[in-house]
Amino acid sequence: MSDPQVAAPQEEREAVVTRIAVDRSAEWVVTIYWASALFWLCFATLAGLISSIKLHSPDFLGGVEWLTFGRVRPVHWDSAVYGFAGTAASGTLLWLQARLCQTKLPFPNLLIAGGVVYNLGVLLGVIGVLRGQSTGVEALEMPLYAVPLLVIPYVFIVIANFRMFFTRRSTHTYVSQWYLMAVTIWFPILILAAEACTNLGAVDGVSQAIANWWYGHNVVGLFATPTGIAAAYYLIPKVIGKPVHSYHLSLLGFWSNAIFYNWAGTHHLTGGPLPAWTITVGVVGSMMMFIPVVTIGINHHMTMLGSFHLLKTSPTLRFAVMGSMVYTLASFQGSLESLRSHQEITHFTHYTIGHVHFGMYGFFAPLMFAMMYYAMPRLTGNEWSSARLIRIHFWCTFFGMLLYTTAMCWAGIQQGRMMNDPKIPFLEIVAFTKPYLWLRTLAGLILVSGTIAFLINFVRIVSFHKIRFATPTLFNTDRDWNELMRKEKELS
Amino acid sequence: MFFVFVFIWSFAILAGATTVWILAWAIRNGEFRDLRAGARSIFSEDEPVGRVTDYFPGEGPTGARS
Repeated sequence: MSDPQVAAPQEEREAVVTRIAVDRSAEWVVTIYWASALFWLCFATLAGLISSIKLHSPDFLGGVEWLTFGRVRPVHWDSAVYGFAGTAASGTLLWLQARLCQTKLPFPNLLIAGGVVYNLGVLLGVIGVLRGQSTGVEALEMPLYAVPLLVIPYVFIVIANFRMFFTRRSTHTYVSQWYLMAVTIWFPILILAAEACTNLGAVDGVSQAIANWWYGHNVVGLFATPTGIAAAYYLIPKVIGKPVHSYHLSLLGFWSNAIFYNWAGTHHLTGGPLPAWTITVGVVGSMMMFIPVVTIGINHHMTMLGSFHLLKTSPTLRFAVMGSMVYTLASFQGSLESLRSHQEITHFTHYTIGHVHFGMYGFFAPLMFAMMYYAMPRLTGNEWSSARLIRIHFWCTFFGMLLYTTAMCWAGIQQGRMMNDPKIPFLEIVAFTKPYLWLRTLAGLILVSGTIAFLINFVRIVSFHKIRFATPTLFNTDRDWNELMRKEKELS
Repeated sequence: MFFVFVFIWSFAILAGATTVWILAWAIRNGEFRDLRAGARSIFSEDEPVGRVTDYFPGEGPTGARS
């Protein structure tokens, strides 16, 4: 085989060297963020499993006050959202932005220090909740002393993000960059406003509940979702080597998402003591979300059309396509769920729990996994050590989520119908849901198996476990180090 | 309560104004002018349109660059 990099024309060689220099600059920072993401994923899953088991076997760990349901369930949420989603999304943001701007990742030491402080903040918050210091505000349970440790490191990420954008060498702002820039503007506003209106007590009563659910809904939609979509818009075209089907639609999707998502939060309070119009606003906002969801769904499907056979051969694509498809399904489900007629049955049932997990573990997490599968070999210069472990990870994620969502949504619908019938005693309904709660624990165990497979692969790739055969994922085994060093200097 | 209103409204107006400003910037800057080129901006000379860039480890087509 001839050496294509030597034979390649100058522009191609230049492009390779730029790409590698950018990836190299992000290596440690992004690896640290993603390693913490994996740690928190394991932690959150463990807390989730304990909560799940407690629902069908209430005596489980019943004697340990730290692990009572009221503490361990918020810890599950907090470690999943702030721990896993926060660090996974930040790592994704930093790497993707560096690549799309074609600049080196700035302030690596500051970002690493920020990552350490952020992890410490989540740890402190989680321990606080386990000790019984929860604020009692759903989604913002962490005690106030932990919050600055989450916000300040995020400021570093915002600064790095803007720095990359303003020193970019690329001439065009790609659609993923729109989403990433928006996240760094939205999230700080979101968390500051929500903390001010709830835990800091700027408003109280019903207004506080509105602020609480405005946040609870938006932390998913204006933080996790845009990062996931940004990843999908980069990975799917890049892996299959085909531009996005309609770039027009992708931008329409971004702007309509930006306009409508923010309004949807109050549908969580249907039936609550709120003015009816506030809930109607939430329902209308949710229905309008069909516009961005349809544009994104059509776009990803049409881009993939004719390339579905690549799902067999690309780990990144499998996770990215699973994430994108679930995005469409979960968003449709979510919009319909906001309707009052729908909520008559499903509100306050397991259906909602099924939906939340479908979104977070069926859409967001697979896209983050896809990002890691694509980027880690490029960041570390090593290849994933086992294709089999990747397959195990994928199928466990797929079937785990399938079981989780169907069991919970089906149980929720039945539970809701039974609760609407006053003739059925409440305990009978509880007994009815029990087998489904067991199924949920089983689904959790399947997901854990997948996570363990991923963890083994991840530890190996980070600890420089080299494999022998040449693989096309890397494209960079004959690095010209002198040229690379020159490029690195030039970029900084 | 007065300060809360000032806080919320100034925040909302600031956020709204920023959005409009960014949209105006993007239009002025020609971000929406050539959408075909925009969609292709993630490809480069060494990873051009048409090249698949991800395989399971060790399972890529033989003869591909390594």
